Amino acid sequence: MTTSYLVVLRPEFGLCNAPFKWIPPQSPTLKFVLRAVDASAISGSDRRAAQDDDTAKTETTIAATTVKDPHGKSQATVGVFPLVVFAMKRQEGSSFAIGIVIAATFFVLAVRIYLGRKARASRPPGSVADLVRRGQLRTRPLKYDDPFNNPLVKVGKSNSTVEMCGKVYRLAPVTLTEEQQAIHQKRRSRAYQWKRPTVFLKEGDSIPPDVDPDTVRWIPANHPFATTASDIDEDLAQNNVRQKHGVPFRIQAEHEALQRKLEALQGEQKLNKLVIDSSNAKDFERAFKSHPKSPERGEESLLNEHVANSKAPLPEWPPNSSGSTLSSEERQKP
Amino acid sequence: MLSLRFLPSTNFQFHTPKTPKPPRFPTPKPLAVRSVLQWNRKPELAGETPRVVVITSGKGGVGKTTTTANIGLSLARLGFSVVAIDADVGLRNLDLLLGLENRVNYTVVEVLNGDCRLDQALVRDKRWSNFELLCISKPRSKLPIGFGGKALIWLVDALKSRQEGCPDFVIIDCPAGIDAGFITAITPANEAVLVTTPDITSLRDADRVTGLLECDGIRDIKMIVNRVRTDMIKGEDMMSVLDVQEMLGLALLGVIPEDSEVIRSTNRGYPLVLNKPPTLAGLAFEQAAWRLVEQDSMKAVMVEEEPKKKGFFSFFGG
Repeated sequence: MTTSYLVVLRPEFGLCNAPFKWIPPQSPTLKFVLRAVDASAISGSDRRAAQDDDTAKTETTIAATTVKDPHGKSQATVGVFPLVVFAMKRQEGSSFAIGIVIAATFFVLAVRIYLGRKARASRPPGSVADLVRRGQLRTRPLKYDDPFNNPLVKVGKSNSTVEMCGKVYRLAPVTLTEEQQAIHQKRRSRAYQWKRPTVFLKEGDSIPPDVDPDTVRWIPANHPFATTASDIDEDLAQNNVRQKHGVPFRIQAEHEALQRKLEALQGEQKLNKLVIDSSNAKDFERAFKSHPKSPERGEESLLNEHVANSKAPLPEWPPNSSGSTLSSEERQKP
Repeated sequence: MLSLRFLPSTNFQFHTPKTPKPPRFPTPKPLAVRSVLQWNRKPELAGETPRVVVITSGKGGVGKTTTTANIGLSLARLGFSVVAIDADVGLRNLDLLLGLENRVNYTVVEVLNGDCRLDQALVRDKRWSNFELLCISKPRSKLPIGFGGKALIWLVDALKSRQEGCPDFVIIDCPAGIDAGFITAITPANEAVLVTTPDITSLRDADRVTGLLECDGIRDIKMIVNRVRTDMIKGEDMMSVLDVQEMLGLALLGVIPEDSEVIRSTNRGYPLVLNKPPTLAGLAFEQAAWRLVEQDSMKAVMVEEEPKKKGFFSFFGG
């Protein structure tokens, strides 16, 4: 069932000349018909009668919609009151100009929104530049990344104050003279007579005959981080430091030892020998220990080897290569 | 907020005016303050490269490692290539301060043993790629002290002759004390930076260490006075920087104010000089690095805080 509403817009409220009929989009229950009735269109008693009739109709329908639907009520209320736009349209020639003005307004709005979006894309919200643009920060963004343009350091005009990080500090000249420095140096040279130790000996060792006893530093056996013993000799260490390319020395040595082991194992397999040769196992030990073992060395070298062995393989050796896999196996052997 | 746009971008160094002829009867004349703050030019490298600088103190906990990290990164920011060596054999911390602890796989001990090459042991900082870290040993390994000092000399030689060129600075973080680690660390150095705090315990150790360095032939020794509190100096509860200088008789490389940001930056593994916006201590480290490059020393020191003068237009942000 569809209901239709007729709203009369009275001429005494100042409505447009032409009869105007507006049919809103159909809703399932309501059909709203607005009719603007001009004095010239309907005459005399007909008009009066129609008006009375229509007004009565409207009132009843409004009452009905109030109960039924608040949406419909509001629509009806809008229809009852005189509309300003209609009043403006009284003059026929101005409608075109108004249209242009409205179109121009929409165009300006569109351009503004477009420009705003474009500007926002270049300045991400929340950045310092954005804060400056919004007037939250007073200055342009500071360039802290550039150490040559540090805006937080400022020397006062009188040159006796300095401003750093917004605080002013008074400056005092340094009074130290060359003579005073020399006096201090003399004093220290008298007070502290020292020779840098160049020979490091384990406590209990005897001093070699050609060594100045002042330059000997005694290192106890349980020193937390220093040891007099080492796996390698000095020349080898120096070469290791200077090596610039290729496989590091110890990795190379271990690799070669493993190669020998593999070859030996393959030889054994050919001969179908299942006996493990104990003398062969010595080949896998590091070949570069040149000097004889000292009694103190045992524990430390074990520690050093443990540290060295617990390391991951170097990038030169892919983890799936046979040498590396075998080396880890070999390392786990006692 | 400060802005220095109006300041000239020329050399920002103030010099004392030409000294007038000495009068017949010299009267005590107040010394002219010569400001030494530098900020808008590139520092000129003085001396031969690599400059091997050891940062030492004697006493522990005065800020050697913090100074090494901040000066090292400041130098890298100023455009110089820097290799920082953590020579603290027993208790190394420089990697933590720089936030590089997860990237240290090899140390000098491994290089000496032939487990890796030197270039594999150098850890390049990703923030400033001209900064590299080299640790001398792992915390639980022992350094063969027989050639510990020599090893550092070999290292410096190897760095000199490497392909990408000789580094401008080799900065060595020295361990506390005057034990074997100290001897190792000072061996390759040509110059030293002595870090001290304005208290008598630190000063006594600093004096001793300076004496040892001078005996060893290191003549170029400058000091950084760390953890200075201007408010305590004003209340005469702390020795002033000038008092410290009077006691030690060393040229001043820098004065670092006490700053709570130091602890925060240490915890973060992000050196102070990279903070944005910079802190007071960070600026002071930057200035010290600047002087180190130019082999300059401070000519004036900050004494105390003054109330900021407000201009007529300060209300309007002037």
